[in-house]
Amino acid sequence: MTLLADILTILLNGLQQGAIYVLLAVGLSIILGTLKFVNFAHGALYLVGAYLGLFITGQVPLNDGQLAEWGIQSYGIGLGFVAALVIVPIVVFIIGLLMERFIAQAFYDRPDTDQILVTFGLAIIVQELLRALLGGNSQPFQQPSWASGPIALPVVGNFPRWRLGVIAITAVLVLGVYALVEYTDFGLIVQAGTLDGEMVRLLGIKLSRPYLVVFGIGAALAGVAGVVGGPLANVNPNIGTEQLVPAFLTVVIGGVGKIEGAVVAGLMLGTLQVFLIQTGYAAWSQVGIYALAALVLLVRPQGLLGSEVDVS
Amino acid sequence: MSDEPRDATATAAADADAEVTGGLADRWASFRDREISTVLLTVVGVAVFPFLFNNFLDGYTQLATLMLIYGIFAVGFDILLGYTGLLSFGHAVFFGGAAYAAGIFSASVSSSPLLVLLAGTAFAVLLAWVVGFLSLRRGGIYFAILTLTFGQMSFYLAASPLAFLTNGENGFTSVDIGSLLGVIDIHGGVPFPLTMLVDDMLYVFVAVVAVLSVAMANRILHSPYGTVFRAIRENERRAEFVGLDVWRYKLMAFIISAAFAGIAGSLFTIEGNYVPLQSLYWTESGRIVIMTVLGGVGSLFGPLFGAGLYLYIENIVSGFETLGPFWHLILGVVFVVAVVLFPNGIWGGIDYVRDMVVGGEDE
Repeated sequence: MTLLADILTILLNGLQQGAIYVLLAVGLSIILGTLKFVNFAHGALYLVGAYLGLFITGQVPLNDGQLAEWGIQSYGIGLGFVAALVIVPIVVFIIGLLMERFIAQAFYDRPDTDQILVTFGLAIIVQELLRALLGGNSQPFQQPSWASGPIALPVVGNFPRWRLGVIAITAVLVLGVYALVEYTDFGLIVQAGTLDGEMVRLLGIKLSRPYLVVFGIGAALAGVAGVVGGPLANVNPNIGTEQLVPAFLTVVIGGVGKIEGAVVAGLMLGTLQVFLIQTGYAAWSQVGIYALAALVLLVRPQGLLGSEVDVS
Repeated sequence: MSDEPRDATATAAADADAEVTGGLADRWASFRDREISTVLLTVVGVAVFPFLFNNFLDGYTQLATLMLIYGIFAVGFDILLGYTGLLSFGHAVFFGGAAYAAGIFSASVSSSPLLVLLAGTAFAVLLAWVVGFLSLRRGGIYFAILTLTFGQMSFYLAASPLAFLTNGENGFTSVDIGSLLGVIDIHGGVPFPLTMLVDDMLYVFVAVVAVLSVAMANRILHSPYGTVFRAIRENERRAEFVGLDVWRYKLMAFIISAAFAGIAGSLFTIEGNYVPLQSLYWTESGRIVIMTVLGGVGSLFGPLFGAGLYLYIENIVSGFETLGPFWHLILGVVFVVAVVLFPNGIWGGIDYVRDMVVGGEDE
């Protein structure tokens, strides 16, 4: 049964790899689908989430950057991982609200090239601010102690516990957002607003508040992704932009505004990447996801689960 | 509003109407509208620039050369972004791709700078044909992401599967640039009268190519072809309704702009004798976006100015003790402010101020 074990391992690892893409993509996707706003600063929110998570979970020594030059040797408060999982989304949610009010709103009526430009600029500001203050070095992000080490799974054998944790957290969060959008009055208003904002306003419902909240939720998801993804690799100022491109691919492959589309696409990309690495084609693993994305976009420009209508 | 769309008839009229009556501003406008004056201004600019640069701005010759190279890149990028309204986030693939093609060509076929330049540019054009054909099926965000996708794909291709050609992460080092036309050493000094202005032959070579590129861009943008580009930017659907094959014009705009990126990329290889892998990464595409937008989209000289300013800040200001670590941050802030408040960049801002002054004169 070693073949089955191999397949399951690849699937599980792909699930974990894809989970981060999914977390980022769902936020990106609901903002893009609902508000028609292209947020190139989404990766920066991930970055903020990761650094904030680092700050909350532990004492991080500083030997680089302006803060170190000003004599600050470490930062962090050591509240633990669960605290980070709770606090980070709240903080990044608020950042999202501020971003919507003070930046995005002014750009709703401007061409999407302008939206891309301004959020790209914001991403640079966040990234460079962090780099200037904390230095450009990679900082290790410890896995939570309750989820470190391997766990014995049937068939697959030993599997890193934290990777299962990533999959589980992602599943809970994405299901939560999905339920919110599909089964609540709030979700109904948002969906109706996406289809025909004019009509919803005529019915006497103010859309600006739901839109604000959607932006906040999208941002919070990116923040959580930073906390969840942080321990999988080191944290440095470049990880935001590094995650942004695959996240965008996930959105576009899945279909803009489709949560289930983002899930399918994220898992596809993750699994393909892991498959190429584990079968000895590691050199092609990055090329592979971009090629797959290009292929899907050429055959089905509206995305796998996207409807023909909402394409502009 | 000097850089507003101007059709061929208006240019011709301005040409014919040599003895314009009216104020100094009108006379200046009619002078500037002529193609020959644009070229002359560029020639004077690139000739005097290194002298001013070396003596007053703390610069050095190599940086002046690099500024012109990126200037060519930005002028081409502006044909796509500023005039046709398409935002590509994968233009590094043409710059870096041409740089690699030029490097590999110089190492294995011919070391003549002109042929190297030609080979790199031809490669960029062919590549643009394919990438443009594939990514132009969609506008706006889809176009931006598809170009980004192809750009990243090329970066990762060059990084490892094609490492036997590109030398992977170390960059392509075996560049071999010979003498120009067999007699002029391109990395050598210049003969006497020129020494008052510039130091090396390389700058002269790049400057000549830059002037030709600006002239070419000017000619394209003031031709009926360029007018169609602007029509597409203003309203794609309307352009389609009057019977224009919008898709084809967009593809041509993409290829033309990639050709400029190719010229710049090849010159980059000739200048540095080295092709870094980084030249294909998407931050390189981001750099050219910043340069062009900061300088001013939709104008001929704006992007040139933006490229120069960006490199100046990157190389000179970043050396200042207090500002150094924050220079990228400051640039980001300036960029966002420019996008929010001055959609036409610094050059557009200058135009705006001048229009105010000139307008005041009229009243």
